[in-house]
Amino acid sequence: MIVRSESRLKRIVLWFIAIGILAPACYGFTEKLILFILAVRRDQIAGFTIIPIANYLIVTAGMFCLLIWAAKHGMFRNVEQPKYDMLRREAELDRREGRPWSEEP
Amino acid sequence: MTQASAAAVPKEPPATSDLVDVRLVLWHFTAGMVFLAVAILAGFLFSLQFIQRYPVAGIELFSPGRWRMVHTNGVAYGFLANVFLGALYWAVPRLTLRPVYSRRLSWFIFFAWQAVVLATAVGLVLGHAQALEWGETPVYVDPVALLGLMLVAVNFLAPIFQTSGPMYVSLWYFIAAFIWTVLVYAMGNFLPQYFVGGAAAGAIGGLFIHDLVGLFVTPLGWGLMYYFVPIILKKPMWSHGLSLVGFWGLAFFYPLTGIHHFLYSPIPLFLQHGAVITTIAIEFVVTTVIINFFGTLAGRGDTLRTNLPIRWFYTGMVFYFVTCLQCSFQTTLTFQKIIHFTDWVVGHAHLVMLGVFGFWLLGIILYLWPRLVGSNAWYSDVLNSWHYWLTMLGTLIMFLDLLVAGLIQGYLWRDLSPWEDSLRASMPFWLVRTFSGVMITVGQFMFFWNCYKSWRLGAPAGAPRREPSRGSMAPATA
Repeated sequence: MIVRSESRLKRIVLWFIAIGILAPACYGFTEKLILFILAVRRDQIAGFTIIPIANYLIVTAGMFCLLIWAAKHGMFRNVEQPKYDMLRREAELDRREGRPWSEEP
Repeated sequence: MTQASAAAVPKEPPATSDLVDVRLVLWHFTAGMVFLAVAILAGFLFSLQFIQRYPVAGIELFSPGRWRMVHTNGVAYGFLANVFLGALYWAVPRLTLRPVYSRRLSWFIFFAWQAVVLATAVGLVLGHAQALEWGETPVYVDPVALLGLMLVAVNFLAPIFQTSGPMYVSLWYFIAAFIWTVLVYAMGNFLPQYFVGGAAAGAIGGLFIHDLVGLFVTPLGWGLMYYFVPIILKKPMWSHGLSLVGFWGLAFFYPLTGIHHFLYSPIPLFLQHGAVITTIAIEFVVTTVIINFFGTLAGRGDTLRTNLPIRWFYTGMVFYFVTCLQCSFQTTLTFQKIIHFTDWVVGHAHLVMLGVFGFWLLGIILYLWPRLVGSNAWYSDVLNSWHYWLTMLGTLIMFLDLLVAGLIQGYLWRDLSPWEDSLRASMPFWLVRTFSGVMITVGQFMFFWNCYKSWRLGAPAGAPRREPSRGSMAPATA
């Protein structure tokens, strides 16, 4: 019932978006952050702005750790498989509830 | 299917009754709709102030400013939070094949959360608001609310962390939302109140306002869409990999966007520019998510006509794209010169909270309600259709109306015209706003009536179900 072949186009779109958009955005943001840290160190701006930055870093540092943990635990291997598993579970749960699935919504 | 993932999923899943406490979902939805009724009536009452028809002027307890806060807090914590919780009690156990940590804890959270929202509403009416936009919950409610959010995180994270193998994208969103919401609530409600002041408190207030949308409502909303859309369309997402790009993009860009609420403020321009850049980056991330959902819809486009929950979901997604596109423009310094403090922002907020997340949650209720009350169909499909069109058109009219009003106000202020001129110019727009509010309110009360009548129709468990009527849009079919 579920077609699992992933098209080449889909992979290209995925990598284009991952590299072509996220990478420049990350670069721009990192550059701004470095500028900010340099400005604070040179006393060009008041240190109070450290507080919102610290808030941001706490949240994103946590997410970065989660990203590393996920990569190390194989969360990104066979990256399309979870969407099929989810649908199969749902069909099975509905079937046990007496609601058989058809192909059409 | 790979062998590893097959091993992660039991061959015979548990019965739904072992996983989901249906009554809890039902009561969260009911509480959400009760608070929505109060919140939209409060909003309607507040709108009358603008057209000089406020019926209870001069009474302190009915001070319009206080009822505005009842409107915003009622929507955020009463409606959105309750319906999100109800939907999560349905989705998380079915995604993980494990029940939440504790059913008793779930019911405790239910009653505690209603007490928090009620105490907030009463506190606001009595004038005990905290001086933080979207965080006006009185200071004596804040610790209880924070404790409640921590318990919610424990209750849902327990089954999620017991799963093995690559996780479905919804669970990533849910994990992030549970952790972020606690952090955001603590940051916004405690730091400016007790620890920092001045411009730093302003910056944190900006972060709080936007993070409440981006790190509480958005991940829960998208996580639920990634669950409900494929199961209703009966087909997998177009690209799971792309959905993960969207998730991690949100995770790294969203937390700094909030400072765009304070452009041209004493906050250093470095931070203001950072906020503008991350806001624009978010629009790219959102584009990936929209591409993915419309890619999923390909070949099933007819469901937009035949399946009402799907129509609610995709209308919300179009509005989400519009509102994020609007956001990436309006956060630039050029736009801010004109639109800051105008009704443009109010229109934007309504499109986000009602037109996007409200629509998604109404679609979820529409899909699940007949199953929750033991019926197979709605009392009236016509009422559901009226509900959709009145709410959708009402929201669209309100958004466009306030958009234009905001531009007129902004240009009049920029030209240093007398304040009274901008009031006179705004009056027709405020009339239209009230009219569109009436459309939305009527639509919701039609829906509430339909829910009540469908509940009355609902057969007890085991009894034969009512079949959908001929020509039904089959919003509840699964």
